[in-house]
Amino acid sequence: MTCPQLVSVSLSSTQRSVRLRAGAFFQRGLLVLAGALLLLLGAVDTAQAQDKKMKKMLMQLQEMNQADGYLEAHRNIKEPLELLGGPISFTVEQNAGGVFVGLPDQRELDSDVFGTPEMPRAFTGTPGVTGVPVPFREVENGQFTQLDRPTPFGDKSMALPNGTMMLKAKDVTATDAATTKDEVKFKASWEDKEGNTYAVRCCEMLATAGPEFPTFGGVVTNHILHGFSGIGTPLMPTEYTYAAFWGMGEVLKNGEVVDKPRVVHGMLTEYVRTEGYELASDSEVTPTRRHFHLMVAPFMPVQGEHKFEHDNVSTGFQLPNGKELPFWHVMFENLNIDSQRGE
Amino acid sequence: MSMISFRAVFTGRAVRAVLGGLGGLVLWMSLIAAPAVAQTSGAPAATIGMTNTLSFTKDTVRVEVGETVRWKNNSVIVHTVTADPEEATMDESMRLPEGAASFHSGNLEPDETFEYTFETPGRYRYFCVPHEAAMRATVIVEPAEGQ
Repeated sequence: MTCPQLVSVSLSSTQRSVRLRAGAFFQRGLLVLAGALLLLLGAVDTAQAQDKKMKKMLMQLQEMNQADGYLEAHRNIKEPLELLGGPISFTVEQNAGGVFVGLPDQRELDSDVFGTPEMPRAFTGTPGVTGVPVPFREVENGQFTQLDRPTPFGDKSMALPNGTMMLKAKDVTATDAATTKDEVKFKASWEDKEGNTYAVRCCEMLATAGPEFPTFGGVVTNHILHGFSGIGTPLMPTEYTYAAFWGMGEVLKNGEVVDKPRVVHGMLTEYVRTEGYELASDSEVTPTRRHFHLMVAPFMPVQGEHKFEHDNVSTGFQLPNGKELPFWHVMFENLNIDSQRGE
Repeated sequence: MSMISFRAVFTGRAVRAVLGGLGGLVLWMSLIAAPAVAQTSGAPAATIGMTNTLSFTKDTVRVEVGETVRWKNNSVIVHTVTADPEEATMDESMRLPEGAASFHSGNLEPDETFEYTFETPGRYRYFCVPHEAAMRATVIVEPAEGQ
């Protein structure tokens, strides 16, 4: 772009004409620049307004959480009732073989769970924990297609060697309450190709009552979770769950604790993977096979409030892009299962 | 009806586990006494891998009666090679030709192999037990040349 000061050095008529043209050009340039600045400021204002609007919407969605009333009625109960028919004790173990580790991916949205853009479902609660806000959903031909951002719940995974796990638990208490007689001892480990060992242990404390959805005293048996159930993220398909637990545990790498305390969730469910280890939709679940899922999610309960906030897990596991995997979602599929009812 | 016979060979940890359980001497005696478990001779007619992404590396292979197929677990996950109605929970997982014997490798850990010699012609659909929903393939056994 020509500089106006350099053009106006002499005073010939031609030069004066040039200078006048240059002055007009300069004025127009200033106007364009001012306009651009206004647009930029406007854009910043708009972005800030949108950001504020989004935060407000997310807060409203958390306040709209559908389980709040139910949980309010239960979380202060000091002597909760026991399971009908008595306690159930069970062990789930894998002694050898590998594991599948879930990687960040965009989840396909099942209309059975998420509805349609005109009639959406499953959008209240903390995004990713109990709901998926509608603005986070991509739309094509009048249908939701996939989430617009990666989460721990998708089709991408990698197999890692030398996976073992042991869950020894007891489901005694039926409902959410202030206390529980449920018990959990859990440990799991696996390795990467370099020989580093990763492990998760639980539970120093059980989730006697859930912040956003029921946790049944910390352990639940023979119940439907996820998907349309409203218990746990709808990004996992609706799945019959033979046993599950929620508690506070710790994450280790090469024998050293790298993150603590973390919410640890494990569940033995019907099989929810398909060809290529893709995550099933509700209609693709295999009811006659089972596998165990371990989840250390990038969320933590907010102290004193009945909701979660985003908080990446320190796993110590490096993804191919150099970033640290911010959660553990690990599947064990070579299982020995034992259970009994009664003390 | 043709006579049904089969030979299966387990290698790696499966054999080591049996060795540990029964003791070396007993095992060797049982190997000699049991015709169903024997070493095959010569190279297999086909080799099929098992992957980390729940698949057999060949959807379909064709062999002749009397030929052996070898499966190798190339993954870090435990797999099986199974065409046994007692192990299947879904109708579409497996199919055996009329008169054919069922087979099941048991758990194959990483790098372990399993071999099976097919003696009855026809189409065999088989699967992996823990990954039955996704991991299936087919062996087509044709009559031997000249038969």
